[in-house]
Amino acid sequence: MADENDNERMDDNQKSDKMFTLKKWNAVAMWSWDVECDTCAICRVQVMDACLRCQAESKKDSYGKQDCVVVWGECNHSFHYCCMSLWVKQNNRCPLCQQEWSIQRMGK
Amino acid sequence: MSDTTNRRPNFSNVPQNGINRNVNVLSIKPTTAKKLVIKNLKSEPKLPEDYIEQTWKKLKSAVLAIQQAKPNEYQLEELYQAVENLCNHKMAPILYQKLHNLTEQHVAQNIEQFLAESMDRYLFLKKMNNTWLAHCNQMIMVRSIFLYLDRTYILQNHVSSIWDMGLELFGKYILLNALVQTRVVEGLLMLIEKERQGDQVDRSLLKSLLRMLTDLQIYRKAFEHKFLQATERLYAAEGQRLMQELEVPDYLTHVDKRIAEENERVLHYLDPGTKYQLIHTVEKQLLREHVSQILQKGLDQLLTEFRLNDLNLLYDLLSRVKNGLAQLCSSFNAYIKKRGRTIVIDPEKDKTMVQELLDFKDAMDNVVSTCFHKNERFSNSLKEAFEHFINQRTNKPAELIAKFVDSKLRAGNKEATEEELERLLDKIMVLFRFIHGKDVFEAFYKKDLAKRLLVGKSASVDAEKSMLSKLKQECGGGFTSKLEGMFKDMELSKDINQAFKQHTTVNSRDLPQIEMTVSILTMGYWPTYQPMEVTLPDQMVRLQDVFKEFYLSKHSGRKLQWQPTLGHCVLKASFRTGLKELVVSLFQTLVLLLFNDSNELTFEYIKEVTNIEDGELRRTLQSLACGKARVLVKIPKGRDIQDDDHFRFNSDFTNKLFRIKINQIQMKETTEEQKATEERVFQDRQYQIDAAIVRIMKMRKTLSHNLLISELYIQLKFPVKPPDLKKRIESLIDRDYMERDKDNPNQYNYVA
Ligand SMILES: [Zn+2]
Ligand SMILES: [Zn+2]
Ligand SMILES: [Zn+2]
Repeated sequence: MADENDNERMDDNQKSDKMFTLKKWNAVAMWSWDVECDTCAICRVQVMDACLRCQAESKKDSYGKQDCVVVWGECNHSFHYCCMSLWVKQNNRCPLCQQEWSIQRMGK
Repeated sequence: MSDTTNRRPNFSNVPQNGINRNVNVLSIKPTTAKKLVIKNLKSEPKLPEDYIEQTWKKLKSAVLAIQQAKPNEYQLEELYQAVENLCNHKMAPILYQKLHNLTEQHVAQNIEQFLAESMDRYLFLKKMNNTWLAHCNQMIMVRSIFLYLDRTYILQNHVSSIWDMGLELFGKYILLNALVQTRVVEGLLMLIEKERQGDQVDRSLLKSLLRMLTDLQIYRKAFEHKFLQATERLYAAEGQRLMQELEVPDYLTHVDKRIAEENERVLHYLDPGTKYQLIHTVEKQLLREHVSQILQKGLDQLLTEFRLNDLNLLYDLLSRVKNGLAQLCSSFNAYIKKRGRTIVIDPEKDKTMVQELLDFKDAMDNVVSTCFHKNERFSNSLKEAFEHFINQRTNKPAELIAKFVDSKLRAGNKEATEEELERLLDKIMVLFRFIHGKDVFEAFYKKDLAKRLLVGKSASVDAEKSMLSKLKQECGGGFTSKLEGMFKDMELSKDINQAFKQHTTVNSRDLPQIEMTVSILTMGYWPTYQPMEVTLPDQMVRLQDVFKEFYLSKHSGRKLQWQPTLGHCVLKASFRTGLKELVVSLFQTLVLLLFNDSNELTFEYIKEVTNIEDGELRRTLQSLACGKARVLVKIPKGRDIQDDDHFRFNSDFTNKLFRIKINQIQMKETTEEQKATEERVFQDRQYQIDAAIVRIMKMRKTLSHNLLISELYIQLKFPVKPPDLKKRIESLIDRDYMERDKDNPNQYNYVA
């Protein structure tokens, strides 16, 4: 309140001080898996959702999804880790490009 | 105990009431008779020759004196002894015969007075009653003299007791006379009819004469049948007439009164055996014949006007007749469906729909519990009716219930204490239970929950958690997992922000002095928002980038998409009047920050620099220059934002408060948006069906088509058609989650 006079003087002129200062900022961001295709080609559920089998089980455990992560192959194709680990038991190739499957990285 | 002492009290204790007397005498007989028999066998003394004649003379004169109501010249004890002596000398049969003849003669004479050509009915009844009472009294006195005969001879020889002999003779000579009987019965019916019309009648006369008929064993044959016929005629006519004349509540009150009156009649003078048929006749004529009309004409009104007493009476009365309650229940059901439909079907009334539903449910619950005796059939029917009508309008009730909950959980809802809120939520859950498209509710609920969580608008965390657990209890964890995920996201965000704060202080980069927090939402848990790109000031971009880098280093494989529409800020603002804090949206922030460099800006300029979408920007400027707190001045003035408008910083801005929240003007939720929400719901349904099928098959391993379908109907929280389920099953067979049985095409096997 002390600088009331200063403010008055500033009026109409190019001001030297800022009128608005950003003090707090609550930003919002949405995260999702960094995948090329939203849908897991094995179970045909979106990779952001738990795979079909996990969904079927998650009746009691409401955070079933936490464990149902995404896995990327060297071919850069991605699937639910659950789905892929069952798949490779029968066929060690990527279901999309038929390259030999090897894990590039896991979602975290 | 000697015989004499035993005899005395009985002798004088003979009650003054015909029926009881019989019973009493019978109960005395066995014990005393036994003793006397043994005594008889021992001695047989001789009597003087004329003893019989002398003795009978005495007895006869005593009986005649009684019959003519004259004083008796002999001692009672003497007469009694005489009877005992005669009996002990085997004179009992003769004595009995003589007494019979004497009584017969007297009774037979009495008929004359009842055969007169014409006689006032009431006087006739009076006379009959007097004659009857006199007869009873005489027989009591006679019997007391001949008590010894009554107790010894009668029992051994299977002849009528003296009392019964009197009744038989009275019946034979008086009441079996057709004319007399008709006069008696018609007289009685006349009296009863008079009473039914509301007149006072001599109830003791009725009672006495009806007792007479019972004692003479002609009550049923001579009276009851005719009485019931008269009753039926009367009430058939009355029912027809009053159903026309009276309003239903008045009619019911009348019927109730009638039934009470007839019950009283039984209590006061009718034979108790008549009760069942009498009441049944009244119920049939006044109620059973009119049930449909009563319900048709009166039920809606009673329910609408909430007349609990009348409804209670209606229930009680209808419970008396066969199928009465079944009919009441189905009319009740029909009323709820009809009335409920008007609540949900009219879009004009959407604003009040939920409150009206709650009130309506309360009212009908109240009716069932206070008027319908908590009858389960009615409470089940009530539920069925609610479920039926609430789903007559697809999706809208679910949406409005979700919004109603939001209005109660939002901060600033001051109307309720924690307990009241809890009770209200329970009531809401009852409505929710009726909704078929539970996932529609979830979608709209989620939208509002997101707002509450992101803007910190929630009134109470406890209430939020409570609502969530209610939903979970009702629909299972699958239903609430995403909603719970939203709460979890908020908690995880706190942790991340703390870690980020530490990270920035440790690495002490030359970051802007802005306190940034980030809410990280998991895609899929939250509603989907329109993606929007805006241009942030460099400082903010830098902060964002630093955070993003930090976040992705912790979570590999993820990507972040900023949601500028959801961001909000606190700005320090210095006006001429002093320093203020503004609580604003990110868009408002972006606009206001521009005024640090220039006092006056054009719409076009702001649009170009911020890159905020046109409609969104217009609403933002409106909120800053045309709302309650005008920190900008619009040139020229006016509500709508034009392309060539200018905006100037309002240095004269004043406000009582230090911290001022400037509400972003909300875009009205368009029908398109609502459609989009609904569409998303339908897409999600496919996944949910798939998951349910897999879940069931995994548990059962093998299952017939029909059993699988019926289990699905139990598990799924939304309406589905069989062809849709079939399609999903086919799709799962394609994807090798299950297979058709080789031998039985109607059976499926789970594929592990
Ligand atoms: Zn999958
Ligand atoms: Zn999984
Ligand atoms: Zn591949």
